[in-house]
Amino acid sequence: MDRLLRRYRWLLRLFPADFRARHGRGMEQTFVEMVRTRRGRPGLRFWLALAWDTLRHAGAEWIDEWTTGGRPDAARTRGEAMAVLWGDVRYALRQLVRQPVYAMTVVVLMAVGVAGNAAVFRVVNGLFLRPLPFEEPDQLVDLDETAPQWDLEFLSIAYRDFDVWRADNSTFESMAVLDQGGGNALIDGAPVRLSYLQATHDLDDVLRIDPELGRFFGAEEDHPDGDRVALLAKGSWEQHFGADPDVLGRTLSLNGFAIEIIGVLPEEADFLADVDLWLPMRADPADFEGWGLSGIGRLAEGVSIEQAREDLIAVHKARIPEWEVNEISSPVVHSLRERYLGDYRLGSGFLLVAVAAVLLIACANIAALMFARGLSRTPELSLRSALGASRRRLARQLITESLVLAVSGAGVGLAIGVWGSDMLIRPLADQFPRWVSFELDARFLAFVAGVTVLAAMLFGLLPAVRASGRRSAFSGSRATASSARRRAMGGLVTGEVALATTLLVVGGLSALDVRQLGRVDPGFRADGLLSFSLSLPSQRYEDGAARLAFAERYQEALERIPGVRSAAVASSVPLGGHWGWFFLVDGAPARAEEEGNPVVLNRIVDPAYFNAVGVDFVAGRPFDDFDGREDGSRAIVVNETFVRTHLAHLDDPIGARLAAGTELGPDPEWMTVVGVTRDVKHYGLDREMRPGVYQPLRQLPLASFRVALALDGDPAAVVPAVRATTAELDRELPVFAVNRMSEQLDDALLTRRAISWLIVAFSTVALILAVAGIYGVISYSVGQRTKEIGIRLAMGARTEDVLGQVVRQGMTLVALGSAMGLVAAVAGAGIISGILVGVEARDPRVYVAVTLLLGTVAAVANYLPARRAARLDPAGVLRRE
Amino acid sequence: MIPRPLKTQYFQILLALSRRDLHGYAIQRAVLDQTDDQLKLWPAMLYRSLAKLEEADLIAETEAPKDEPDDERRQYYRLTEAGRGRLRDEAEMLARWVRAVGEAEA
Repeated sequence: MDRLLRRYRWLLRLFPADFRARHGRGMEQTFVEMVRTRRGRPGLRFWLALAWDTLRHAGAEWIDEWTTGGRPDAARTRGEAMAVLWGDVRYALRQLVRQPVYAMTVVVLMAVGVAGNAAVFRVVNGLFLRPLPFEEPDQLVDLDETAPQWDLEFLSIAYRDFDVWRADNSTFESMAVLDQGGGNALIDGAPVRLSYLQATHDLDDVLRIDPELGRFFGAEEDHPDGDRVALLAKGSWEQHFGADPDVLGRTLSLNGFAIEIIGVLPEEADFLADVDLWLPMRADPADFEGWGLSGIGRLAEGVSIEQAREDLIAVHKARIPEWEVNEISSPVVHSLRERYLGDYRLGSGFLLVAVAAVLLIACANIAALMFARGLSRTPELSLRSALGASRRRLARQLITESLVLAVSGAGVGLAIGVWGSDMLIRPLADQFPRWVSFELDARFLAFVAGVTVLAAMLFGLLPAVRASGRRSAFSGSRATASSARRRAMGGLVTGEVALATTLLVVGGLSALDVRQLGRVDPGFRADGLLSFSLSLPSQRYEDGAARLAFAERYQEALERIPGVRSAAVASSVPLGGHWGWFFLVDGAPARAEEEGNPVVLNRIVDPAYFNAVGVDFVAGRPFDDFDGREDGSRAIVVNETFVRTHLAHLDDPIGARLAAGTELGPDPEWMTVVGVTRDVKHYGLDREMRPGVYQPLRQLPLASFRVALALDGDPAAVVPAVRATTAELDRELPVFAVNRMSEQLDDALLTRRAISWLIVAFSTVALILAVAGIYGVISYSVGQRTKEIGIRLAMGARTEDVLGQVVRQGMTLVALGSAMGLVAAVAGAGIISGILVGVEARDPRVYVAVTLLLGTVAAVANYLPARRAARLDPAGVLRRE
Repeated sequence: MIPRPLKTQYFQILLALSRRDLHGYAIQRAVLDQTDDQLKLWPAMLYRSLAKLEEADLIAETEAPKDEPDDERRQYYRLTEAGRGRLRDEAEMLARWVRAVGEAEA
């Protein structure tokens, strides 16, 4: 109980002293009795309510004090109070105009501090605080399956599993699965690629959306024999159908099928996925086609994510007798935000801490400035005090000045912050789900206002308290007052240096990490590599032979385009998504249970692929024209990681025989390993490797593929020629999703780079501010000690001694501060390592570099005022005094 | 002067004190009872309200009633004559409003 009460007393300090003296005990007693009669210890909810209660009413009490001067008898009207306040503001403005350098310095410091906070908070607000744009968004959860044994955190959902979950769960109001795809459509005779979302008929219930026109598809359309129907997204209704209100009932041709349009979706539907069409899933739970679907559910009221997960696991595992694989797979439930934005949480947290530190340093500088100025204002304040101004009145005047400065600075900072965050958000917009919005809202403004007031209190209250504490102008010795002030300033400098040091370490580590990532060998040649998608409709390309024939002719035609060095066809190119298979090795020892069976990345490629994409071989050879032919042998190429995970028991992986699947059938189709390639960073430079294989296109002729072009020339010039060449072969085939590989590789690191760049930028600002603080405080301290230094010089002290003493004094503060900062960084290494991939959080290079950098810059900042002191003319100084 | 109509928390505090003299936490409980747990006066809100009411001479600090255990940490409050009058005025005004709604619906 004592501990709780101490905590509450701490909160109560927010009240003005008068109110606390009168009612503090009453509030404490009430608190004690509230806690005592509660069942169980007070939880977070209780403390939040209590803190909010205290904060709100303490604030109101301060405002009352402010406007009435704290005297209940001075029952001023609101108008009179405003007049006094306005008078204070005008007086403050006059004071500040008279000292423009001082005022500008504070405004700039404040602007720097607020700008970073505004920019970063805008991003954090958009990502983590703003409610999702759906009804009752807290009930929405992401569904998925996990399979640790296959080394897959997210397996995606199999339709038959979903079908069981939906039927047997008791914790969900509704759930749906969906998949995204694209199809070739003909609109007004021109081939168009339309993107679509395929979903079960429950999706409108889950999202609680109603079509703007027509109706949503129902269960009768959502099975394999259902009518083919579609809803148009608002955008594609406007773009492709001119927003025609009579569009219902019209049909469009998609992949050769006639589809009836039964509705138009509202704009909110785009938040889930930015596609042209929504189609019913039309899946059959009896056909197990593996995994591949995303899921979204709406929890029943009062159900927690954990309860929902346990419920689904029970339902899922109950099917193990029928489907043995459910032993390996398990359902997982996450909040939507956690699933899609969880990766950004740590980085954003670091940025918030960084900007808070910058603001703190700026405040410390301003406070030091105000301390220094407080001394020069002593005569003015003493005079006003002698003329009858109350302590409270003087304190109020000083706080008003701080507030005027803080608000001006914050205004500038807000503008810079909004502009800066625009610059930041624009290139990153594609990295976030559609429902994330960075619009400025009330929460953002409240945050900036709160930060401003807090900062003003930090740097304004200290001098104000000191001013109001000075009862008379003539009491106390000036010397002790100034040495106390110097000590306080020394403390501020130490704190600034400590914060800046820690930030610099984090910035240095993340910069080093990103630089190292940029140098990671992707395992292929990204420069000059262009890729795009093409999809052959099954009506006109019925069998593998037709598709192969097209692929061969197409490849030859593409290679005739000037600027194209080579062309290849594959199921996917690097950064092109995951397609997991399992393989068994002929004669391999059985895998131990706990060893797991890591999923293998499967790629289907034509023989030209390795050369076009620039994948090197460690052993063996690429495919030749016989591999995979019906009269030839079945072949496969594996990567180095596959050799490590699956073929480690062999001396030579070449010649090993593999079969696809998890269980050997009676007549397995063996494939012979003909080559081993170097590892290709298929998932991005900052991601782990998985075992991977390549199979010849001849063995598995695809209908949808990526085309990779190795270019000599300008990609922009080649793309129109590619479209023309494609149209020559088949004028109904759209070329889509055209990407330059080097850009894609960079984009994959964009967020990481942006976070690192920002931390470096903020830590640089912190360094500059801290150094400016050192310079200012040492200058001030030297100025205060002019007389002492003058006497020492007159008594014969050598210039070097004075110089050395001043520098030593300053560097002691710096050493103390940076030691604290380094210790903090080492202690926080566990957290810091969360944002690093390839660099140790305790990498000594960074720590040494930061210490050297800070030491050098701080030494200069110390030396300049020290030199000025040493060059004093002792006679002049003493005459002045 | 506290403007009329009284804020809900002021009215409820006056109402609670009209039955008997109470200390801070007891006022909180009484108001919870009166409002079917709708209004919880957290300490800061409670004491700021008490301060305002005391300033306006509607309530005053008082001794602990004889039938309660003497706990010096508790601050007791009683309704002043002005407070009683104000509560009555306020209640009549509310009653008039309630009647007006009844007539409008009839």
